[in-house]
Amino acid sequence: MIRLEKVYKTWDVPVLQGVDLHLEEGVIWGLIGPAASGKSVLLKTVCGLEKPSRGRVVVDGSDITHFGESEMMSTRRKFGMLFQNNALFDFMTVGENVAFPLLRAGGIDEAEIEERVASRLKAVGLAGSENKMANELSGGMRKRVGIARATIATPPIVVYDEPTAGLDPVTTSKIYDLLRGIQDESHATVMAVSSDIVALRPFVERIAMIYKGRLIYEGAESDLDDCEDPVVYQFIRGELEGPL
Amino acid sequence: MSDKPTQPGLEAPLKFPATIPHKVGGAVFGMVDALGEFFRVLRGTIRYSIWGKRPKGEVLNQMYQVGNKSLLFVCVTLGCLGMVLVYQICLQVNKITGDMSQVGSEFIKGMVHAFVPSLTAMMIATRVGAGIAAEIGSMMVTEQVDALRMSGVEPIEYLIAPRFIATLVMTVFLTIIALAVAVGAGTLMAWASFDVNPVVFFSFEKVTAGDMITGLAKAICFGAAIPVVSGYCGLTTRGGSEGVGSATTRAVINSSLAVIVLDFILSALAYFFLQSRGL
Repeated sequence: MIRLEKVYKTWDVPVLQGVDLHLEEGVIWGLIGPAASGKSVLLKTVCGLEKPSRGRVVVDGSDITHFGESEMMSTRRKFGMLFQNNALFDFMTVGENVAFPLLRAGGIDEAEIEERVASRLKAVGLAGSENKMANELSGGMRKRVGIARATIATPPIVVYDEPTAGLDPVTTSKIYDLLRGIQDESHATVMAVSSDIVALRPFVERIAMIYKGRLIYEGAESDLDDCEDPVVYQFIRGELEGPL
Repeated sequence: MSDKPTQPGLEAPLKFPATIPHKVGGAVFGMVDALGEFFRVLRGTIRYSIWGKRPKGEVLNQMYQVGNKSLLFVCVTLGCLGMVLVYQICLQVNKITGDMSQVGSEFIKGMVHAFVPSLTAMMIATRVGAGIAAEIGSMMVTEQVDALRMSGVEPIEYLIAPRFIATLVMTVFLTIIALAVAVGAGTLMAWASFDVNPVVFFSFEKVTAGDMITGLAKAICFGAAIPVVSGYCGLTTRGGSEGVGSATTRAVINSSLAVIVLDFILSALAYFFLQSRGL
């Protein structure tokens, strides 16, 4: 479904350094790593929001590395993305935000869009919030609206960038519970990035750790504890002593 | 020496010493990249303004933002400038000949041909250009522009094209209104300070078709340049609130610079193609 081959991304400093990754269809994949290690850039490179400096990105059989903006538009329709800061359009209501991907895709009549928005908002626990403005919502509610927008078009690949950043532990559990519910319905390929490893691990099947732009671990979630890499070891246990 | 365990394959990236050729080369490549990106924005803006999909009522909304909300600002500025200019002209003419009969017609010709379009555009660049860059820049740093792209929307089509159409149309209207205000204020000043008869002052006899074509062409070109330059500054915003501030400043400076450079080019073209043919 998704394949990265020796992907490099450099701005002033190297951000991704030779990332190789292969994700099968329907897998729930998690990515962990310290701050500024390249997690979000890796996700954006997969979605075509960032172009790699070197290497290949293949999505659903198409090599998107050198796609122009118009070709990329159709590739991006395969993705739904929850952004780190939710990225809700603050000049729109909640309903308009959630309906946006459907409106832009076209071919769906207004009544059906309204129905799907209402049903998706109900699924994320925000029934009847269609007319609220995005900037009137709390952090947890904004996250839920972001999830509703990312998944309303039932894309085959869903990307969650820090789905619980800045949320309290109870809201974090509720959000992951919600993601699990959505996943049970959609069976999409999921890429989830989080610094909150404790909350993320029960949600994912496979997990990877990125450090200084390199994937230093990639494997089954259940095998992570057996990893002997000192960085992974320190990071997952939150120890003060170590290479980090 | 650190006693921390090291990671195999995680050596620090190679760093070359930054010599002058490296810096110059980097700056040149940076400028070429920026120019390429600017022309991509320009091309996209023109294309999407003609063939693009726009949210319902967005152009009208932007016309309100650009036109109605700039009206007072433009009128006050151009009114004051008109009065100051007329006062200074009359003062000098009074010292030399004392004949005020030609002041009005020459003043109006200059206003139509050069001053009003460029000064109005400078005011619009300050207010509207800054607004466009700040709005798009904020959307960039909060990932809203990425969210648009993920929804299959080209940001140039959705954000810049409606502002381009609105600014272009409203710059022309604001220039016409500003001309009326500047000439009216100038007439008033000449009458109040130098006792120049308003009927004598308010004379369009020296304004030619060429002056009007030049003034209109300038208003259209300035109105087109401001949103493209400002939109480009907004779309290239990096970083957080500091980046938005920097983008806003760049938008005002670059839009104003674009107005001045275009003013020079259009004036030269008008001289060669219109005035030399007696228009």
